[in-house]
Amino acid sequence: MRSAEGRGRTLDEAVDAALIELGESRRNVDVRVISEGPDETLVEVVVIDQATASGAASPTNGKAEAARVLVEGLLKHMGVRAQVTVRTGTDPITLDISGRDLGGLIGWRGETLRALQSVTNVMLGRNLAEGERVIVDVERYRQRREHTVREIALRAARQVKMTGDAITLDAMQAFERRAIHLALQDDPDVGSSSIGEEPDRRVVVGPRKPAST
Amino acid sequence: MPGDRAAAVRIRKAIALVNAVADGAGDEDLTPTEIAEAIRDCLELREIEQGSNVRKYLGEALDATSDGMPADFVAMTLYAALGALGESWSED
Repeated sequence: MRSAEGRGRTLDEAVDAALIELGESRRNVDVRVISEGPDETLVEVVVIDQATASGAASPTNGKAEAARVLVEGLLKHMGVRAQVTVRTGTDPITLDISGRDLGGLIGWRGETLRALQSVTNVMLGRNLAEGERVIVDVERYRQRREHTVREIALRAARQVKMTGDAITLDAMQAFERRAIHLALQDDPDVGSSSIGEEPDRRVVVGPRKPAST
Repeated sequence: MPGDRAAAVRIRKAIALVNAVADGAGDEDLTPTEIAEAIRDCLELREIEQGSNVRKYLGEALDATSDGMPADFVAMTLYAALGALGESWSED
């Protein structure tokens, strides 16, 4: 499996550096963030094995293949021409949908994509263990959103460290808030919490309170 | 129509609650009661016509919540309600 590490000031720059080294496009790779700091981001970019991705299924990824076939069928019924692949090395099972002009499949704030994911999980229900879920992504929309909000979180954390004041971010969906909490969970100085009610729930990034003695 | 928009806002709020449970942001302590309340808020809107598909799907979502069905199932039913509301717009 071909892979390369990339460094850059931002996530995009780091990914682009690795892509140039590999001579690949974004569509054909998986990106793993190794470290993300204020000045430099380090990523590992792995070229997707197309034979595995398109589900030349081994017995162990039977669930993933079932999910892929199901979503492919749903899209066909919807009249959407797109390719569905299983993202390698991810837990939970993640399906990537790629094709041309798939904006409609993402919908307003990812609403249509989220609905497609709900339908997929309901239809696969019997094949999945309790608590197990399938994530559906279109043109890496979800992955890009998670990266974007992680960058927002790190930027906000830097500002909090400089000013000492808490920052309230824009309203976000649950998976985005989760990405922020995970991004800041190991920061000793800055923490995150959420306020407000859905769908206007927001993350507040602020100084971590010293533990009471 | 303002009434339909209010209904869409309330249905989206209920969907956001259910998705927060399904996606597990880790910053919520949501109970089925809260989700049921959000769906009842939708049903209380007089603008949603009796006997309409929107009301039917909302009722099914409420039943699913009460029966402890998975969050994705409740979400799917609420999306169906939202879709039916969109259809009622296009019929106007």
